[in-house]
Amino acid sequence: MNPAERSQRWRASLLWAWALAVVIFMYLPTLSLLLASSTSSRYFLFPITKWGFDWWQKTFNSLEIHALFKTSISIALMVMVIAVTIAFFGALAFARYEWKGRSIYQKIVLLPIFFPQSVLGLALLLWFNAIGIDLSWKSAVFAHLVWIVPVVTLVISIQVYSFDPALEEAAFDLGASRWQVLREVTLPVLFPGIFSGALFAFLLSWGNFPLSLFTTGADTTIPEYLYAKMVAGYTPGVPVLGTVSTIGAAILLLGGYGLIVLRRRARLK
Amino acid sequence: MASASERKMRAGPLNALPVALFLLIGFVAPLLAVIGYSFMPARTFSLLQAPTLENYTGVFQSSSYISFLWSLGLAAATVAILALVCYPVAYGLARVFGRWSTLLTLLFTIPLFVSENVRLYGWILFFIKNGVLLGSIKSMFGVEFESWLFTEGIIVMGMVYVYLPFMLFPMTLGVSMVPVETRDAAFDLGATRWQVFKEVDLPLSMPGIMIGFLLSFVLAVGALVEAKVLGGQRVIPIVHEIELAFTYAQNWPLGAALAVLLMLVAGALVLLVLRRFDLDVILGRR
Amino acid sequence: MTTRAPVIELRQLTKSFGAFTAVNGIDLVVAEGEFFTIVGPSGSGKTTVLRMLAGLESPTGGDILLRGERINDVPANRRPTCMVFQSLALFPHRTVGQNIEFPLKIRDVPPEERKKRALQLMAQLRLPEDYYGKNVTKCSGGERQRVALARALAYNPDILFFDEPLSAIDYKLRKTLEKELKDIHRETGKTFIYITHSLEEAMVMSDRIGVMRLGHLVQVGTPNEIYTAPNSKFVSEFIGDVNILPVRLAEGGRLQSDEHGATFSAPAMPANFSDGHLVVRPESMRIIERREDAENVLTGKLYNEYALGSRIQYQVRVGERVFIVERLRQQALVGRLDTDVLIGWNARDSILVGD
Repeated sequence: MNPAERSQRWRASLLWAWALAVVIFMYLPTLSLLLASSTSSRYFLFPITKWGFDWWQKTFNSLEIHALFKTSISIALMVMVIAVTIAFFGALAFARYEWKGRSIYQKIVLLPIFFPQSVLGLALLLWFNAIGIDLSWKSAVFAHLVWIVPVVTLVISIQVYSFDPALEEAAFDLGASRWQVLREVTLPVLFPGIFSGALFAFLLSWGNFPLSLFTTGADTTIPEYLYAKMVAGYTPGVPVLGTVSTIGAAILLLGGYGLIVLRRRARLK
Repeated sequence: MASASERKMRAGPLNALPVALFLLIGFVAPLLAVIGYSFMPARTFSLLQAPTLENYTGVFQSSSYISFLWSLGLAAATVAILALVCYPVAYGLARVFGRWSTLLTLLFTIPLFVSENVRLYGWILFFIKNGVLLGSIKSMFGVEFESWLFTEGIIVMGMVYVYLPFMLFPMTLGVSMVPVETRDAAFDLGATRWQVFKEVDLPLSMPGIMIGFLLSFVLAVGALVEAKVLGGQRVIPIVHEIELAFTYAQNWPLGAALAVLLMLVAGALVLLVLRRFDLDVILGRR
Repeated sequence: MTTRAPVIELRQLTKSFGAFTAVNGIDLVVAEGEFFTIVGPSGSGKTTVLRMLAGLESPTGGDILLRGERINDVPANRRPTCMVFQSLALFPHRTVGQNIEFPLKIRDVPPEERKKRALQLMAQLRLPEDYYGKNVTKCSGGERQRVALARALAYNPDILFFDEPLSAIDYKLRKTLEKELKDIHRETGKTFIYITHSLEEAMVMSDRIGVMRLGHLVQVGTPNEIYTAPNSKFVSEFIGDVNILPVRLAEGGRLQSDEHGATFSAPAMPANFSDGHLVVRPESMRIIERREDAENVLTGKLYNEYALGSRIQYQVRVGERVFIVERLRQQALVGRLDTDVLIGWNARDSILVGD
């Protein structure tokens, strides 16, 4: 190995070490949560003396938790379906078609992403109050969508950018009706982007706190519940639920990504 | 019957309609409501009153603007630290890590989907007395330290933690926009590593870097949970101040005025930076 | 040449995009079963013409007639035509078989019949049968071309359009595919309308060629006619390396070149000719030993030579102008580089064009 290669290897190792350090930094809280949920004692004392998973049982059996689950999932599913539907068309307008207002449209779509969520939540609270809408999990769906629709539009747009418009023209030229073109060509080719968008929409809604805090009214989502418990005092239920949240997100994400990879590989056999 | 090219011209606006309409009602309208409220007399709840500037003057007379400065300062510190921490990782992801990049990116993405307060709670468990860190030190070395929680430093650390992906991903995008051949050409022409970085890497990845800066700063300025959870009452960021005005003080107009000022700061920055970039080039060139 | 019935007729076909006119009043008749190529540099409007024929663009003026019937308002998916796109536009999420069967599938042809037709086309286009289930992204460039062609032929359209499908392929493969395309044309007997920027490519395959420039059709004819009788300086230059000399009418029906201060004997002159250009092909320009060996002679310096496979191209500098002479490899000049030479041609080997 000559000196140039050696120094390159050395630099690569440094970068790897740094990146792994940052990854560990990102997961230390998760690790702490996991540890805290593995003790059967009432208080968190490290190192753990009383290992046990009693609190997991208690959490899974709790009716209160079930109700929270239902609220969070209802919101997340509705957000996912609505977001993907309108964001699909929004992405076509974003990335595919040339039209006069496109540049301004692109900036407007991005604006809610570059916006502090708590302020957005408060603004929506004000707005709901001004037009006389009661707060419930449904208003939370609306609030989530304001932030999530732009994100999903962006995700699908990235896929749309690499979509060859000639594919649609060819299908049309070969005799397909406009509906057939959409069904046979546009949707299947854009599917990975749509799938990622749906996944993002679900997960982002599931874990959202600032928007939910101000707009759910009497209903409570899991993040809101956890927050209330956190500031009230220590209960081991919090780490348990927190760990479940993280693991759930990881499974969905890795699973979703895995599905895409498998599908691509199956097609290329 | 409309020509094919005419139909294509109309397809854009038609497809944009749902999203545009939705954002109009869900984003623009609420913001206008906030602006409207900010001009209403203090401690009132209706929009139908004579406008006044008393909330804005009140902001500068009271201590609210201190919260503002704190938020701006904390955000600036966070962004500075993030830039230094993230650039090497972004560079590695774009150039060095090869097929591991996707896995690493996934690892960095997963925490985004868990709500911040949960993740920050993990940090509390880490740093609290008898928590993971101090508990281990105590049992291993028998020394007991004061917890680092409830300091300004830990708040910044929390913010760095929460907003890391928002700096990392745009930066990675930016770094990947530098064509390898351009770098090679610079080396070939005799530039040193530092010169290549300064003359090629930095300028060409600037769009991504700027977006990373912008995104993390704007989000950090609007941070709420980090200071609440990790900092106790030590620092009151501006959003907390706004929330207090809305809930505790029952002074919606004041809260609205503060929110408007925050929006102005964030909005001005966003307009300044986003105006210079052609999004088609940045997002389409993958 | 037997006169065949016209299948496509363009009357004053025009297309404007705002203030910019891409196609400017084209008149053209294409015969049934013909291989017609429209050639032109980029920006000449040829792609726009093709897209209007396919129905992907609407004309702003003029008419398109299919066997006498006006089809301006017929949408692309109802015209009995099919286009092979420049990027081929093969569906990446489908296999070879599924791509070829697509036009049949959307016309509700039963699966058994579809598969039979697909395999038949694959055989005709020399695609191995086991490619039926292969994903198109794994096929080579030439294979993808054939899949695209098979797909376009699947439901038996009357006319096929080709939008520069061979422009992004390397030379050897292109030459092979050009010949194959010509064979397919003869086998199927369909009308092919092809566009390309390469006149060389057009000459290989076409029955007739139309040359376009800046939205106008400047000349239409067989490859031979275009080659031997270009009607303008533009078409002459478009063919490739030629010698073009500005001349004007002089006494006694001769041509005066002010540049070289000489007069030349003229070939057949267009009516009312007063000034224009004299075109001499490189193979008609000769390097001669004695002034008597040619009607028109110039003195110059041999300053460069290029080996072009079976021919050698010599560049002779006469004053400010470079003349191009081509000879067969067997007749190569030896040791004359950087020396003075005589070049000459006979009037009947030259062409006179307006401008």
